[in-house]
Amino acid sequence: MRGRPLLHTTYESDQALLNSGTKKLMMGLFLVLLAVIPFFAPGTIGQEGSLPGPDFLAAGDWLRLLSTVGIYAIGALGLNILTGLAGQVSLGHAFFMGLGAYTAAVLGAPEGPLWGLGLPMWVWLPGAGMVAALVGIAVAPTATRVRGLYLAIVTLGLVFIGEYLWRNLDFITGGSQSGRSHPEFALRLWKEETPLIDFSEDGSWFGVLNVSREAKTYFFILALTIAVVLLGKNLQRTRSGRAFMSIRDRDIAAEIMGVNEFKYKTMAFAISSFFAGVAGALLASLVGRTIPETWNLFLSVQFIAIVLIGGVGTVSGVILGTIFVILLPRIVKDFTEWVEGVVESGDGLLASVFDVFVSTGPGDFGLINTSAGVAPGLGIDQLNLVIYGLLIIGFLIFEPLGLYGIWLRIRNYWKGWPFTY
Amino acid sequence: MPELVVFAQASAISPAAQALVTGLSLGSIYALLAMGFVIIFKSTQVLNFAHGALATLGAFLVAVFATTWDIPGRWIPGLPEWASWALAALLALLVAGLIGVLLERVFIRPMVGEELFAVAIVTLGLDIVLRTILNDFIGVSARPLGDPWGTQLIDLGWVRIAYTEIVQFAVTITLVVAMAFFFRTRTGVAMRATAFDQEAARAQGIGVGRIFSLSWAIGAMFAGVAGVFLSIHPRGPAGVTQQTAFFAFAAFPAIVLGGLDSIVGAVVGGLIIGLAQAYSGLLPWEFLGSGFGGVVPYIVMLAVLFVRPHGLFGTEEIRRV
Amino acid sequence: MKRKARWLAIFLVIGLILAACSPSESTDTTEEPTATTEGATDTTEATTDTTEATTDTTEGEMMDIATDIGVDLDAGTITIGLLTDQTGAFSPLVTQINTGYEAYWANVNANGGIHGLEVVLDFADTAYNGEVHVQLFEELKDEVVAFGHSVGSPQTVAINPGLQEQGMLAIPLTWYSGWSDPAYNSQVVAHGTPYCIEAMNTIEFMVDDSGIDSPTIAIASIPGDYGLDASAGAKLAAEALGLEIVYDGAGAIIPGDPTSYIEVGNAIAEANPDIVYHTGIPWIGWPEVYTQAVITNGLEALWSGASPSWGPTYVAEDSGIRDEITRDFYWAAYYQPWAGDSEGAATVRDVMTAAGAPPSDFYGEGFIEGQLLFQALNIAYENGDMTQAGVLAAAKSIESVDYNGLAPSDSYVGEPNDIVQRVVHMMRPDPNSETGSKLAQADYTSPTAAAYVFESACFELAG
Repeated sequence: MRGRPLLHTTYESDQALLNSGTKKLMMGLFLVLLAVIPFFAPGTIGQEGSLPGPDFLAAGDWLRLLSTVGIYAIGALGLNILTGLAGQVSLGHAFFMGLGAYTAAVLGAPEGPLWGLGLPMWVWLPGAGMVAALVGIAVAPTATRVRGLYLAIVTLGLVFIGEYLWRNLDFITGGSQSGRSHPEFALRLWKEETPLIDFSEDGSWFGVLNVSREAKTYFFILALTIAVVLLGKNLQRTRSGRAFMSIRDRDIAAEIMGVNEFKYKTMAFAISSFFAGVAGALLASLVGRTIPETWNLFLSVQFIAIVLIGGVGTVSGVILGTIFVILLPRIVKDFTEWVEGVVESGDGLLASVFDVFVSTGPGDFGLINTSAGVAPGLGIDQLNLVIYGLLIIGFLIFEPLGLYGIWLRIRNYWKGWPFTY
Repeated sequence: MPELVVFAQASAISPAAQALVTGLSLGSIYALLAMGFVIIFKSTQVLNFAHGALATLGAFLVAVFATTWDIPGRWIPGLPEWASWALAALLALLVAGLIGVLLERVFIRPMVGEELFAVAIVTLGLDIVLRTILNDFIGVSARPLGDPWGTQLIDLGWVRIAYTEIVQFAVTITLVVAMAFFFRTRTGVAMRATAFDQEAARAQGIGVGRIFSLSWAIGAMFAGVAGVFLSIHPRGPAGVTQQTAFFAFAAFPAIVLGGLDSIVGAVVGGLIIGLAQAYSGLLPWEFLGSGFGGVVPYIVMLAVLFVRPHGLFGTEEIRRV
Repeated sequence: MKRKARWLAIFLVIGLILAACSPSESTDTTEEPTATTEGATDTTEATTDTTEATTDTTEGEMMDIATDIGVDLDAGTITIGLLTDQTGAFSPLVTQINTGYEAYWANVNANGGIHGLEVVLDFADTAYNGEVHVQLFEELKDEVVAFGHSVGSPQTVAINPGLQEQGMLAIPLTWYSGWSDPAYNSQVVAHGTPYCIEAMNTIEFMVDDSGIDSPTIAIASIPGDYGLDASAGAKLAAEALGLEIVYDGAGAIIPGDPTSYIEVGNAIAEANPDIVYHTGIPWIGWPEVYTQAVITNGLEALWSGASPSWGPTYVAEDSGIRDEITRDFYWAAYYQPWAGDSEGAATVRDVMTAAGAPPSDFYGEGFIEGQLLFQALNIAYENGDMTQAGVLAAAKSIESVDYNGLAPSDSYVGEPNDIVQRVVHMMRPDPNSETGSKLAQADYTSPTAAAYVFESACFELAG
């Protein structure tokens, strides 16, 4: 069958996760890339960073940002199961993330003024998911009664009720605007002093490799993300996955064909909440200290945006979407800083072109304001938000399939090249 | 300053009666927001998450027209203050309506025929963009609207009613009545026909696109009126701020409560939510903790939806295979 | 598709042009201060003359100075990071502090900098969000020698482990009483009077000033370290002075939730206290609560709140509560206002006027933070150790900061009870003054505040 990669002679090969050679190759390259990224960060392995590499990946904060991407991807894959596969719009993701974060804190944080049992990570991480899933099942009866836009508003209500709860359960959450600390990433058998692997301290692995805290966390999150991706991808191929999609496409038709709508909607809620809970626990641990206001509507919107921008219902799209949405603020910031630098240097054609758009002080007309909120124009952070909002709108209007759709078009173009059909 | 230390005796205000005034005042703002929202939803099937931003837009424009620019007062010398303010507010709200039309034309029209959910998310993106740009204009502190009523009030002894609250009730009732009449006019009937079935309406020669624009204009103006009342005494004595938009979220339960597509439902839902919030403050239970009034709308909404999945007055969805 | 694109493009262009034209409150504040501070040089010598003696250091001495991050001797720069709030809940206040801070360093740089080294500021906007705060800390910690300020107590506590690991200094821009707690204070030098002590001063001053016999008090605040620390201080003061607390709404005002404003305003009025200590944010909810109690319910009482509760807009010309606030309100500031009589306050006026900034009381805070770091950097230079750890050690060795009367001197050597700042200036509103405020009594320490044994935070940030 060589040379005819799209010819599948068995059901198994048709349904395989990587059903063509190119996919296998690209996935392999992608994984290798993910695995070597930390090696380019100085101080990660060896004393001074033993491998030369491009400078922009060198700083530890980039690795931390990539860990954030991994965590958001886990949460977004959860939302993708509910919204992308089962077609149920949820604005309540932030509520389930908060639930996971506080469950993890109660289970995993050391005993202190706030509730904390000091249990190891293999308890608190799955525990966070389980509790979120149970609550997901508990709200499902209400959620399955209402449809479409009504559901969106009901889940919106969950976020506000959640914020009220977190504010008032101050023996767990530390209270509004005060917050609490969260358990650290560390592998322990039980409550012993020195963990097997401590992801939150620099240290050595196997006595040879010096590994930075950021790189350790990165590898840990990467492993979890890959596991969740495999779960999400496999779910689509199971009976449940097909049931979800049939409900999404036409719920009445699905029910007539014998798909138990209530059961599968509840199941979708449970799975989605589980991943949200895990992501919430991870995010809280990565930040170290959260306040109840962390789990607000904007966080939910961010997940909706990730799923939409990436491509609803596709796993690879969601990964692309997460990378895009989480790295976007940093890219906009670095870009504006670069533009500012060019303008300030004041020479060359580029500087005079940019000067039209950038205002560096009062009286200087421009669209983007680089001088800390006192000159006309939008500040960098406002610019970020505007771009973010416009991207959501733009993708929905022009490319409903999101980044994944763009990728499909590129692929199809080259498939047919040099023909356009 | 010895006169400072002479304090009044405890006032004999009845908490229950005062809560009624507060509840009606909150409720009429919710009702205004909900009505604008339902008008948009009925005729264009768009769940408008940017409604809070539209409310802020209206209030901000009033602040600019009435205080910063003094338009049209600066051209008409000798105009009494209240008339000058009312004209400025009217003009500002018309501009807000025009911006509503523009937004619909640019961002919503291309989405005709797409899934309702996708369109709703477009408005979520629109909300982010609008609010960010508005926040840049409003600046970090509040912008006063310069209304002529200030903090004056009528003291009946057992209850106190602010002038602005009376204006608020009057405006809300006027607008409800005006909408009732509007739906009997030729354009109103066309709008109802569009809401009922867009394609059939089109076949009857109704300019559906025009109806879309009109409904967004009305929706944006209603939101703007609500925004104005949110930015003057007693709800927002300091003026319009970056926070004003968030108030609109509490109007969502009001809309769902009444039913997404019912104007009567919007008014009733708004009043129920407002009164529930005001009276929740009188509950004696300590364990409810702080900020319970903020979640009352959602709890009422969940309770009603559990019994009636399409709200109190919403149309039952008829679904075919 | 073409039509869609055209409409979108038209809209975007209009929107962005509008945004570009957007007025900004303080348009004329950012005249590059370096260019305009010449005129003010003579008045600021007081602040900078500590360097005069050592400014003419030779190249040879320069070479002996140890540096690691953020100090570049070849380029002659010192980079300071600021984890600031330019778009979040406290931005109206913090942006003005930043304006003062920028002007302060522009002035220092124009007068020889730190032994000839120019100080460069790197502002990072956290929007008062913890997650962003930590991420920006991670980005800046390998670029700057110290953090000139870090806005928000929970956020600053969140970066504490990172600061410890890095061994660097941050100056918290919060007046939380917990900075003396050993769990938090290894990396920070706090400045100013904590909210808790401030409340004791204010309440005792109000009781004395009004002459009311055994007054009653109502306490209300927003949640969080700021509101609850202030409320804790108010309760301690009430206990010490024997005031009856007729309403306790500590943490009951939820920013952004209008119903909580109404509830708390009604509850305060119903309790009918003589004094209200109400801590909140001037642009999110504070005037609403005040209006509900005083205008709607007709309460007459003396009002106060921790110093950030005060907003000059309360007594602005079109404010509906101008007369009532002027009648009722007191607050405490630990540094002198714009019209202050000290040499330090005069410096602030001169530098800011020369920079074209409109009068405001809040620039003083920027100058104080600046002066504190200025002194730390000078000591670090003289110790020959301008590493991150060196600057931290230098700051921790400061026994008195010379603010030239702008604020009482701070010290970082000694027991918490001995070094905690207890002095404030009592303030009253004055609609006729340039900044809406006037000094009621300078350098005030109430007997309660003086007698209070300060061991740990009044309000503990849990775990």
